[in-house]
Amino acid sequence: MMYKEINFILNGENVNLQVSPDEILLEVLREKLGVKSPKCGCNKGDCGTCTVILNGKTVRSCLVLAIEVDNQEIVTLEGLMGNGLTPLQESFLKNNSFQCGFCAPGIILSATELLGRNSKPEKKEIQEAIAGNLCRCSGYSPIIDAIIDLTN
Amino acid sequence: MEVSKYVGKSTVRIDGKVKISGAAKFVDDLDFGADLLFAAVVESKYAHAIINSIDTSEAEKFPGVVKVVTGKEFPFRFGLYMHDRYIFAQDRVRFVGEQIAAVIARTPDAAKKAAQLVNVSYTELPNVLNVQDALKNDTFLIHPELGNYQHVPWFFPKPETNISHLRKVRKGDTNKAFKEADFVFEDTYTVPRYAHCAIEVHGTIGLFDNSERLTVWTASQSPYTQRHLFAEALAPLGLTHKDVRVITPFVGGGFGGKAGVSMEIIGAALATTVKGRPVKVLWTRAQEFYNTYQRQGLTCRIKVGVNKDGGIIAMDNTLYWDAGAYVEYGANVVNAAGLSASGPYNIPNVKIDSYCVYTNLPPGGPYRGFGYSEFLFGLESHMNEIAKNLNIDPVEFRRKNAIREGDILNYGGKMNPNGLIEAIDKVAEAIEWGKKEYSDDPNKAIGKGIALFWKAPAMPPNASSSAFLKFNEDASLNIMISGMEIGQGLLTVMAQIAADVLSVSPDKIRVETPDTDRNPYEWQTVASHVTWSCGRAVERAAIDAREQIFDLIERALDKDRTSLYLENECVKSRKEPGFSLPLRDFIINGIMKEDGTFRGGPVIGRGMFMPEFSSALSDPETSQGGKPNVHYTVGASAVKIEVDRQTGKMRIPKAVLAIDVGRALNPNLIKGQITGGLLQGIATVLYEDMRFDEKGKLLNASFSDYKIPTALDIPDEIISIIIETPQPDGPSGARGMGEHTMIPAAPMIANAVEDALGIRIKSMPITAEKIALTMVKEKKIDLINI
Amino acid sequence: MSEIQLDYAKPKLLNEALDIISKSINPYILAGGTDLIDMIKEGLVQPDMIIDLKGIEQFHQLSFKNDALFIGAGVTFSELIESKIIKEHFPVISELSRTVASLGIRNRATLVGNICSAVPCMDSGPLLVAYDALIMTVGPKGERSVPAEKWFIGSRKTAIEKGEIVIGISISSPGKHGSCFVKLGRYEGEDLAQVNLIILALKNYIFKVSFGSVAPVPVRAKKIEQLINGKVITTSLIEEACKLIEKEISPITDIRATKEYRMHMAKIMFERGLNAAVSRLNGSGPEYGKNLL
Repeated sequence: MMYKEINFILNGENVNLQVSPDEILLEVLREKLGVKSPKCGCNKGDCGTCTVILNGKTVRSCLVLAIEVDNQEIVTLEGLMGNGLTPLQESFLKNNSFQCGFCAPGIILSATELLGRNSKPEKKEIQEAIAGNLCRCSGYSPIIDAIIDLTN
Repeated sequence: MEVSKYVGKSTVRIDGKVKISGAAKFVDDLDFGADLLFAAVVESKYAHAIINSIDTSEAEKFPGVVKVVTGKEFPFRFGLYMHDRYIFAQDRVRFVGEQIAAVIARTPDAAKKAAQLVNVSYTELPNVLNVQDALKNDTFLIHPELGNYQHVPWFFPKPETNISHLRKVRKGDTNKAFKEADFVFEDTYTVPRYAHCAIEVHGTIGLFDNSERLTVWTASQSPYTQRHLFAEALAPLGLTHKDVRVITPFVGGGFGGKAGVSMEIIGAALATTVKGRPVKVLWTRAQEFYNTYQRQGLTCRIKVGVNKDGGIIAMDNTLYWDAGAYVEYGANVVNAAGLSASGPYNIPNVKIDSYCVYTNLPPGGPYRGFGYSEFLFGLESHMNEIAKNLNIDPVEFRRKNAIREGDILNYGGKMNPNGLIEAIDKVAEAIEWGKKEYSDDPNKAIGKGIALFWKAPAMPPNASSSAFLKFNEDASLNIMISGMEIGQGLLTVMAQIAADVLSVSPDKIRVETPDTDRNPYEWQTVASHVTWSCGRAVERAAIDAREQIFDLIERALDKDRTSLYLENECVKSRKEPGFSLPLRDFIINGIMKEDGTFRGGPVIGRGMFMPEFSSALSDPETSQGGKPNVHYTVGASAVKIEVDRQTGKMRIPKAVLAIDVGRALNPNLIKGQITGGLLQGIATVLYEDMRFDEKGKLLNASFSDYKIPTALDIPDEIISIIIETPQPDGPSGARGMGEHTMIPAAPMIANAVEDALGIRIKSMPITAEKIALTMVKEKKIDLINI
Repeated sequence: MSEIQLDYAKPKLLNEALDIISKSINPYILAGGTDLIDMIKEGLVQPDMIIDLKGIEQFHQLSFKNDALFIGAGVTFSELIESKIIKEHFPVISELSRTVASLGIRNRATLVGNICSAVPCMDSGPLLVAYDALIMTVGPKGERSVPAEKWFIGSRKTAIEKGEIVIGISISSPGKHGSCFVKLGRYEGEDLAQVNLIILALKNYIFKVSFGSVAPVPVRAKKIEQLINGKVITTSLIEEACKLIEKEISPITDIRATKEYRMHMAKIMFERGLNAAVSRLNGSGPEYGKNLL
């Protein structure tokens, strides 16, 4: 297999590694870089658990080639917490928003992207922003409520 | 003086931070180093076939392959309640996707590619894909050996048929009662199969180390059951229980799908073939759909006899369950549903036949609700139809017939204390029952529906829980249990229970996920029973520790034991208001006497709970005698829908659920179960279902075509109503409630559709398509109706 | 065991890209990758070369000049939703884009990728057909502009020729117009269309109607257009048009819906979509983005 060198910023740190062109970003993050908050729930872009922020926008890391992020910037949940939990995370914590927690990293990133765009989103905008992140436990309302709670 | 300080409060989850921060490790997040191997399975192409031969030679030559394993190496039958399945198929396959062999390789990719090179030669057998075919006289037998299978004493298989269990209930005299009834209403309702769709797939890593101990990491609701089944199934290899260790990190959703043992046995077995190296089996999302337990399909024929005044005097309910290729767990769903298929009604004459039927579809098994969602769809739809025919309000009809404390259950026992009537009244009020509403949009109609529910934990009579509790130097605590945190908040509630007994705040209590080497026994985290059962064990462990503390204070300081109590992490005395000894001063290192010697030592509590009043022994012809169910949790739910007459599309402006939880240990977590469970139930009626082709292959094994709800698909408003009629044997009076929140959803929506549009849909799911085409068929709308 | 060695290139110039394509055996163009990468993982395609277009600046162009909209091949659905140009001149493109998959996909997936994959349930196909859009390609034989109606040949088949790249889409503005995109899914969350429909209402009551997901390629409903063009929309006219729908489309039964429901819904969607497009033309009607079903 042919390997190519890529450089990118991961959670504020420069990363340099060799990847083959068919390697998937999610697998590289998890298996080569030990970043485990993005999860693999479906491997087809349907569930949103592999969400990462690429150049400020959420993407499905199971549908991105690792080689595509050469010279780009990636943020995962690990990278949000430079100063401890963010206010958004605190609000999720206070509201007992998550149950099993498997979808939490993806939803936190999707909500973070939304709040970066719009600090006072309507309920419908919140629903649209996280509609690509499947959660089987919560019924979503405790998640939506926590976001509304924070923005009020 | 024992006022709850922590129990009953909406404490923030003690596992909140670990999950919010991404620190929570799920089984696929664990690292096993460079020698980790990966397995991929070879799957049956056919629903029913004889395996003539398996040629593994090409696969073995594939670069990176370490070993190819077939069923020959594990000719052992196993199962939870009935030993009817194998680790890998032996001489025949019974469903599409069944595991036949596995390739172990150095990379997942090599394993997957090599698995495609294993050549299996089959001779196809006739497929038996539905209950009707399976019950025909000349049907093909899926398990010709059924008569030889080992099973629990409360199962009654019928050898030489495809009926793997028949639960019969006979109470009173239904023949006579039907003759006497003023009216008899009979109908048939059908429910398809469903998938759990936990967002985390099943995964397992097995390591059979060079000292020949087997450690298995799994995503599981049942670590001890897994250890037991691994030890049993692999006993021919010389393994005993002490040699097997199961470690279960956080689980990304269970819903019953991760109960018992499904694919995990593959990881455990494969590990024994590559001694010294860990081997990982991780299901794909597609495998998650077709080769784990599925919720069984049901055809339910229900007949009810009523008097003019609306009193139900007889019920005959026949349930045919499409239980799939193996029923080692699923047969107990059939059993539990059979015992309770009269619903939460006081009916003097009851006949129930609940048939567990083998088919060539994937194995059925436990799913949140354990059969109750399925039979309640027909039952609660039917109750509305009866009320309508009698011209009685459906709420009034239910109120009149609802079961009350002390009423005689189907198997002869007495109904536990419950607030069913209160639940009915409260949901009726919250949904504004009786107030007809109209949509602003002329295309749309508004309807309201109600359904009652009940459910008992389905468990062996000796299912037990246990707990260890140990203090740390600063009076913080570790509690060790093997109840599993699957999202419901078990860890938090266990901390709250211990906190109250020991006066230590829950945020100073750590409860971790199980490891069978370290944590004591728990039967399984299923049946909505762990809060109740594990909760009692934790409560007893905490009391045990408290008593040790009081013993020590009496012995070391000569205090009157009977006047001691704990408050704010201190021992205090009612007799000596000035006395206050912080736990941290002695809880590990003891209390020094005047001579410099010490009394005491680390305080460690133990507790266990087994429902010693429960028994599964009863007359197989009637189910009379015994006490198979420890208690029923009851409630009522109602919904308001706005449905488009033309498109069949539906919005849910309001849903209400009232449940009698005995005692709400953490109201916020209960609310979480209600919002989550209701949505899961609503999805099963509105759009989810599993579809198979005529060869038994699952057609929608992905989220693209098995739709589970998104954040855009929720009711506009959910009203959660908690009722507290204490359960005498529960911790602080609590009883289970996790599954119950999804089970009334289907019939209440079916009833609301009927109310809105005047159509009765008797098969799930009630999709927009089904509503619209029924409207056209019944000429309720023209094709274009402007 | 002939494993194909995959290579990857991210050229900065169009010519460079064409050169790489010409030298590859089985090259695939990567824009958003949301379809391609899944297909590679499933083993449905085995490229020897992936050419990532995101490095070519002109592909990110989204402009409105001389009454013509240009959507570059690298423009994502999210960019379309956020674009002021789109909101002002082609609000229906925004309405449509909001129904495509979910945000994490829309941040990556492109409209051009959608019409290059050309699966029958795509949302963008009917849009381009209704607007008589041109698909701009460049290849060994030079540049071509392919009318949308000729672009779609069959399920997953387009008029693209060997060695060609799609540069973007050109849509001429039909002037002031009302429009409506209606999509049938199984629920509110993301879904592949079981039927989709776009209706444009131009001045003098000239209409453009195109259905998707009811045939292998998008259907331009010309018989219906002929019937209703220039007429005042009445109940009886809609009923007449609905009869024609049965002649225009040929839906099938699959896992997502039966042909009966698709046909039933196509009529209802037509009626509601037409009314919305007309009232939007007249400055009223439901706001763009409102689900009419």
